Amino acid sequence: MSDEIMIECEGLTKRFGTFTAVDHVSFKVSKGSIFGFLGPNGSGKSTVIRMLCGLLEPTEGTARIAGFDVTQQIDQIKNLIGYMSQQFSLYDELTVYENLMFYGRLYGLRGGELSRRRDELVALTHIEPYMSRRAGLLSGGWRQRLAMACSLMHKPSVLFLDEPTAGIDPVARRELWDLLFEFSSKGMTLFVTTHYMDEAERCTHVGYIHMSKLIVCGLPDELKRLPEVNPPGTKRRDVTCEHVTMAMQVLRHMPGVKSTTVFGQSMHLLVDENLPEERIREELAKAGIKQVDIRPIGPSLEDVFVALTAKMEKAK
Amino acid sequence: MNKIFRGFTAILYKEFIVVLRDPMTLFFMFFPPLIEMIAFGYALDNDVKHMPMVILNEDRTTESRQVIDNFVNTQTFRVVGEVQSVTEMAAAIRKGKAYVGLQIPPDFTRNLRAGRTARVQVLIDGSNSTTALQALNTALGVTLRQAVVTLLAESGRSDIPIEVRPQVLYNPAMRSPNFFVPGVIGVVLQIATTFATAMSIVRERERGTLEQLLVSPLSRWGLMLGKLTPYLCIGMAMAVGLFAIMHWLFAVPIAGSLVALFISTLVYVFALLSLGLLISTRAKNQMQALQMSMTLIMPSVFFSGFIFPRETMPWIFYSIGSCLPTTYFIELMRAIILRGASLMEFWQHLVVLSAMGLGLFAICALRFKQKIA
Repeated sequence: MSDEIMIECEGLTKRFGTFTAVDHVSFKVSKGSIFGFLGPNGSGKSTVIRMLCGLLEPTEGTARIAGFDVTQQIDQIKNLIGYMSQQFSLYDELTVYENLMFYGRLYGLRGGELSRRRDELVALTHIEPYMSRRAGLLSGGWRQRLAMACSLMHKPSVLFLDEPTAGIDPVARRELWDLLFEFSSKGMTLFVTTHYMDEAERCTHVGYIHMSKLIVCGLPDELKRLPEVNPPGTKRRDVTCEHVTMAMQVLRHMPGVKSTTVFGQSMHLLVDENLPEERIREELAKAGIKQVDIRPIGPSLEDVFVALTAKMEKAK
Repeated sequence: MNKIFRGFTAILYKEFIVVLRDPMTLFFMFFPPLIEMIAFGYALDNDVKHMPMVILNEDRTTESRQVIDNFVNTQTFRVVGEVQSVTEMAAAIRKGKAYVGLQIPPDFTRNLRAGRTARVQVLIDGSNSTTALQALNTALGVTLRQAVVTLLAESGRSDIPIEVRPQVLYNPAMRSPNFFVPGVIGVVLQIATTFATAMSIVRERERGTLEQLLVSPLSRWGLMLGKLTPYLCIGMAMAVGLFAIMHWLFAVPIAGSLVALFISTLVYVFALLSLGLLISTRAKNQMQALQMSMTLIMPSVFFSGFIFPRETMPWIFYSIGSCLPTTYFIELMRAIILRGASLMEFWQHLVVLSAMGLGLFAICALRFKQKIA
């Protein structure tokens, strides 16, 4: 990661009629980082990506890719960026091989250069066995790999991925992220939108957009230390026990417990700093829950986003 | 040059594969035009031959039978039955059994021999004005000629005082297919090609692949030309087929040069495809694109001079016709195929067609927004 800023937007705004899809969003992404852009459906994630790729004209504000303005210097930007859209836009009638060749040619690759780059990406994505299959007949995971390979044919410096893991099986998801880390280590800047909190945890930087506004942006660890996330006089505890949903019902109404969230076999509690762990054990024992393991934990990114969204809603 | 059409070869490569790999599109491009061509070609026939005719012969002499024979000998009429009364004759025409009724009254021969005017009544079904007109003209001609021959015999002259010797040029047999089929080719080509390009960009927009093209350095001219070229090749292949049908099935001779024929067709198809592209940049979905291209076919059928002569049209329809590529193409085709005209003699038409094609193409490239909203 270097200090070179690859993506920069300042007061970026997009209005469709009276509806404001993106409201004065500003952030910077430096070279080689993986920027995770999170937010619920309809919050404006795709609109931001589309403005950064030059597909939509911003209503207000500016955006720059590698120093080039997206409205004024789009021609210089086009060769620098790759874009993998939500639905992995491929030509279903074309085979895997033909899709690769088409996207390569679209970016002006010819002859030896084209076939070399194609072979590189085939090796990287392991799509070799499907070369002569039509894209329309590929499964979701393979479609995603092909779409990725297609968007990388011209060696972009910045790659935009709009929900690249939506509807993909866990193995393919893991492998995609392995690839993303590899690209990032080679200096490529990645801008990824996602719904998944675990994916957000893997990013070097995250931004959270809610109701068209960028609520927070920064390094995951910094965000977890924000005072809004760690209200003074509170601590977080992980409680692992049997009958965890029943336990939650018990603890939810206990004085000193601010919030409870279940994570499979355990739950995360936000409690008063001076609430002793023994009190929690006693309360659970009353309900017949004996095997209880309590550990101190830090906030997750989800906690961060929940806390900040709640704060914003309250401010309204 | 390279920069203006950047991405052209990539789009061309992809479009050819997509088009050739989709048998349904190919089928719908080729099959309906062939059927339309054959159907139109046979249906649009103004040569009325052997119109059904009923006879009410109340005279029953050699002379009256001579009249009937003269009618039949023109080949315009054929006798489908004899009736016994005027009411019966009218009923036959009303029911559509006959177009024409020929009534020869009982005193026909008597009047003829006595040197008085012998009257023959001809009833014509006027509900179809084209056939009625032809029946009327033929009936008048037949009786007039017989009257003149009778007068000649009485006056002792052996020759007709004035004889017209008409010579019909370029279509001596006055066959309808020679007139209509070149026009049918123009209309059929429009039906088949315009919708093909009209759908193409809309389809990419619907599938989301257009976004992928828009983020690439592909230029708008490259995109448009790459989309158009494969269909130009298909359109020309189709034109070859249509000309073959015209020549072999409808026996229309091609008097002019094939080179002139194909140059005109190439320019025409280019204009049609550009029109389709223009629709494609405006339509929101494939349904709209289809409807728009279908709507544009109507004026080409009515105002291009394909069926109705443009000279007799009110000025508004005449002007609409002047804006249609089909108008110029049909005039070129009739000139080249029937009259053997050279392109030098019709260069204005070719210039207008080329200007339309290039103009439409430029408009859609310039109008095409490289944004999605």
